[in-house]
Amino acid sequence: MTRYTLSSLLLIMIVGLGSCVTDPNSPGLEYMPDMYRSPAVEAYVDYGEDPYYKTEEVAKSQRNTISARKPVEGTIAQVKSGDFNMPYAYPNTDEGYAAAGANLTSPLATNQENIEAGMEIYQIMCTHCHGEKGEGDGAISRNGLIKGIPSYTGKLKDLPVGNIYHTLQYGKGLMGSHASQMTQKERWQVIEYVKVLQNGGEMPEFDANGNVLTAAASSDEAAQDQPQ
Amino acid sequence: MNKILFKLFTAAFLLTSLGTSASVWEGGNAENGEALFNANCASCHYTTAEVLAAPGLLGVKDRWKGVSDETLILWIQNPQAAAETGDKYVKSLVERYVPTYGWMTAQAVSAEEVKDIMAYVQVAATQVAGAGDATAGADCPTIGDDLEESGSASTTVWFLILLVLFIVVALAASGVRNSISNAIANDGDAEAGLTYTDRVKAWMGRNMAFVSIIGLVLVAYGATIGYQALMGVGVYEGYQPDQPIKFSHSIHVCENEVDCQYCHSSASKSKHAGIPSTNVCMNCHKGIKKGKQYGTEEIGKIYAAIGFDAATGTYIDGEGNNGHKAPQDDFDGDPIKWNKVHNLPDHVYFNHSQHVVVGGLECQNCHGDVQKYTVGRIAPVDEVAALVNDYPGLIPLSKPTLTMGWCIECHNKAEIDLASSDYYEEIHNRLKNDVRGNEELRKYMEDEEITVRELGGWECAKCHY
Ligand code: HEC
Ligand code: HEC
Ligand code: HEC
Ligand code: HEC
Ligand code: HEC
Ligand code: HEC
Repeated sequence: MTRYTLSSLLLIMIVGLGSCVTDPNSPGLEYMPDMYRSPAVEAYVDYGEDPYYKTEEVAKSQRNTISARKPVEGTIAQVKSGDFNMPYAYPNTDEGYAAAGANLTSPLATNQENIEAGMEIYQIMCTHCHGEKGEGDGAISRNGLIKGIPSYTGKLKDLPVGNIYHTLQYGKGLMGSHASQMTQKERWQVIEYVKVLQNGGEMPEFDANGNVLTAAASSDEAAQDQPQ
Repeated sequence: MNKILFKLFTAAFLLTSLGTSASVWEGGNAENGEALFNANCASCHYTTAEVLAAPGLLGVKDRWKGVSDETLILWIQNPQAAAETGDKYVKSLVERYVPTYGWMTAQAVSAEEVKDIMAYVQVAATQVAGAGDATAGADCPTIGDDLEESGSASTTVWFLILLVLFIVVALAASGVRNSISNAIANDGDAEAGLTYTDRVKAWMGRNMAFVSIIGLVLVAYGATIGYQALMGVGVYEGYQPDQPIKFSHSIHVCENEVDCQYCHSSASKSKHAGIPSTNVCMNCHKGIKKGKQYGTEEIGKIYAAIGFDAATGTYIDGEGNNGHKAPQDDFDGDPIKWNKVHNLPDHVYFNHSQHVVVGGLECQNCHGDVQKYTVGRIAPVDEVAALVNDYPGLIPLSKPTLTMGWCIECHNKAEIDLASSDYYEEIHNRLKNDVRGNEELRKYMEDEEITVRELGGWECAKCHY
């Protein structure tokens, strides 16, 4: 038994044993069932994995059900007062799109609260496609994966809010429906910010109550400010 | 009224376009055409035969052979008006596609620009559609890159420490061993009639140094594993199960800058952050049909689950491409069965919106550098603590992620911004006006900060049902 074999054996053992990592597919040790597998009705529970299941058959069918379910058609959400929950009245057709554009108006006031909330939502929901300033240059567009996203200051400059809402509700072309990700109020708030982007992206000025100073009023003020 | 305008427009247009005699199929500037195509047409058309939100344009020249250039230009500038001209090909086009894809929208391009676009369409047919920019996301890890090195490093360190300890002990005792082994060796060659066990024993006696070192290694290893196993009971750090689809946060968040809450949209509204339902994937994957790494294989699984036919770009349940009511309504496919990674036992209550909206915490504070992950995992606490410099406001912790120690350590450290909510203001006022209030308030303010703990974040019932 030479010294070489001895030390190399040792080395192999150290390296070999030391590199035993726990299997990433195993969550780890659990000492007695610790209520990790819930038999209770809760979202995001792996039904059918709980240790109290009745029969394998029942468990099997439970494993095949979707736990994140869609509400029954016609369900009206319970919302805080001031929020909206009524079903959308226009059908998903070309006529519905046109009618929404002509008739649908925002129930929200154009004020600081709504525009700023809209900006936040826009940055979460829209920038990766439409770009920070709405010029159709989000990361996905820059990477060449979805091309031809229209610019708010170009093609979409005069698009009525009703059409924007209709598109958020049902989707249009490559843009999918965003109704499942945003509440009705959030959709109207983001539209408030899209309106700002349609006008070039310059945030309007607000008075102390958060109301928008009208273009005329603010340019008057600007004019008054100028000479001083 | 509209109709009349329409007709006027059509007539005016026909008059102007009669002047341009050269064919649309010749002499266009393909480079200019590419820019125009990407800006105007690429959101619906590929230049190949594949369907995006409208039929691919490969071979349009052949299909439009018998049709006048004016009609083609009119079609692009105003499809409905072109349909009214009664051209046979246009009629067949409308019959074939409008029921599925809806009307093509009128495009604001001039006759000259159409020429450029058509020049581009003809040369571009050979290019691969949907191939991303190869340079995008160079810093973003891809599936297969190793991330889990840190876990094994700590095992090795513990192992080495214990090993050294044992060797020291062994050396101290080696004097005794030496004398024993000498005694055995002196027995000479009496091995002939011995049993196997005796022979092994004799061999072990002769190679005492070797045997004891191997023994020590094994003992040290056993102790390390045992210690770690005990410390690891109920700790799920580093858990990263394989998922049914090779979904990578790195591609989506790091390369393509999608916000966490685009997909986990209920994080700001409810207890659960939620795993995105398949229709959310389709918001992008209706148009992105190939991945860089797995081609159509992995993305195809989304289509199988939701019932989408990638070849025609339509949902199997019959809804058209110009918006869909709710895919999966009428399609009875197997859902994507994501494996749950984070999991708290049933006896604890955790609420995302409370932490994300009210507390204003970044997702990374609890979940680590998710945008670098290629698979969902529970971030080990050291890894998260190492991110302090990257995320202002991140609270570094030391107890293993998802254990109760981790929760209450943070509640003890996290400061509350009293100005952030009317609720705190109200509590503050009540404490000030209460007779006992001032005393209590002083106690809280001794260290000049109010932590979650001081507002009851350590009360068992806050977290336990
Ligand atoms: C997946 C990328 C993507 C996302 C995310 C996205 N859009 Fe779009 N959007 C598009 C594309 C592509 C079009 C062009 C659709 C067409 O006309 O075919 C479009 C079109 C639009 C239009 C014009 C629709 C019309 O009536 O012509 C509006 C308005 C719009 N988007 C608003 C939004 C808002 C607001 C958000 C955020 C809530 C958003 N989009 C998120 C890709 C996206
Ligand atoms: C909003 C989506 C959309 C955009 C943008 C669009 N198209 Fe189309 N296009 C369609 C649809 C849909 C059809 C199929 C006919 C129909 O349903 O109206 C079509 C059909 C066509 C056809 C006939 C295809 C054939 O097989 O004969 C041509 C040519 C065409 N488009 C050219 C263009 C050009 C050029 C542009 C850009 C300037 C463009 N389109 C932009 C949706 C679009
Ligand atoms: C494109 C959609 C998308 C985006 C954007 C996204 N995620 Fe995810 N996330 C998923 C999907 C799908 C899963 C389930 C598959 C998995 O676990 O890898 C998931 C899983 C997770 C999990 C593990 C869930 C569990 O089972 O415990 C965490 C934590 C998470 N995401 C956090 C984030 C954070 C933080 C961000 C922002 C940096 C983010 N996600 C952005 C789609 C997304
Ligand atoms: C906001 C847009 C968006 C959403 C939402 C989205 N993806 Fe993706 N996805 C992308 C982009 C962009 C790519 C990159 C394509 C490329 O680089 O070629 C991609 C790539 C992929 C790939 C390909 C990986 C490869 O290299 O082959 C898979 C698989 C995938 N996504 C799954 C999903 C799943 C599952 C969901 C839903 C939970 C989802 N995506 C939601 C934009 C999105
Ligand atoms: C205070 C720490 C904390 C923060 C901040 C946090 N999470 Fe979580 N997250 C958790 C815990 C704890 C769980 C396990 C919940 C359970 O099992 O009930 C979890 C679970 C999840 C899951 C699994 C599905 C679910 O809802 O149970 C996802 C996805 C997720 N988080 C995403 C996010 C995203 C995205 C953000 C940022 C917007 C975020 N988390 C912020 C602690 C946090
Ligand atoms: C900030 C939230 C929080 C508070 C406050 C809290 N706990 Fe916990 N507790 C947890 C979490 C999370 C777990 C689960 C840890 C795990 O899964 O390993 C837990 C686990 C436990 C367990 C272990 C149960 C088991 O079977 O493993 C006990 C016992 C417990 N808590 C008792 C208490 C008591 C007593 C108090 C009050 C002094 C308390 N907890 C306060 C969050 C909390």
